[in-house]
Amino acid sequence: MNQIGEVSKRLGLSIYTLRYYEKIGLLPHVARNPSGARVYDDNDESRLRFIQRAQRMKFSLAEIGQLLEMRDNPQNVRRDVRALTRRKLAEIEDHLEELTTLRNELRLLINLCVNAERGCPIIEDLEQAPSGRR
Amino acid sequence: MSVKIQVELFASGDCARCEQVNLQLKRIIEDIGNGRVTCRQILLPDEIDYAVALGVLATPSIAVDGELVFTSWPGAQRLRRTLLERLS
Repeated sequence: MNQIGEVSKRLGLSIYTLRYYEKIGLLPHVARNPSGARVYDDNDESRLRFIQRAQRMKFSLAEIGQLLEMRDNPQNVRRDVRALTRRKLAEIEDHLEELTTLRNELRLLINLCVNAERGCPIIEDLEQAPSGRR
Repeated sequence: MSVKIQVELFASGDCARCEQVNLQLKRIIEDIGNGRVTCRQILLPDEIDYAVALGVLATPSIAVDGELVFTSWPGAQRLRRTLLERLS
């Protein structure tokens, strides 16, 4: 169990943001210690990481709220929430495809630089290989 | 009608040494003869979208009929054998 300051530092979320998420219901039922200070357990931190990942995908807080409903009770969620989850999944898969293409392009460009900077290992092979002439 | 195939060599535009691969490839194609193999060299980063779509991650890479077959120089004998297999 960790207090708000530790969680804020670890996740890179401000204390105000943590309190706000609790206020709007994204992070309900945060426990309190005898002094009244918030204490977050592993489930709370897992939920916060989920919120962060969804926000990076530019999902709105309202959408994230619905996805959290799905996360909490996937078998009994409303049809519209299930539909939203499917749409968001499709968005993520498109995004992954775009990222993969970009990654592959950058990887290729890096390899082109490497070829130019250092010796080309294939040259030794070419210089040694028979010509293959009949 | 005899089978023809197209070979595409993806090379680095800045890598003068890759020209040796190109020359070696041309010699192999000339040996095979009868115009059965056509070849074009793609000097990256030209046509990079095409290269990435094919799966090229490094140079030299060799595609045959639009399919990436070698992701590095395979050696003259192996390349020749592969081209002849594709022609048969």
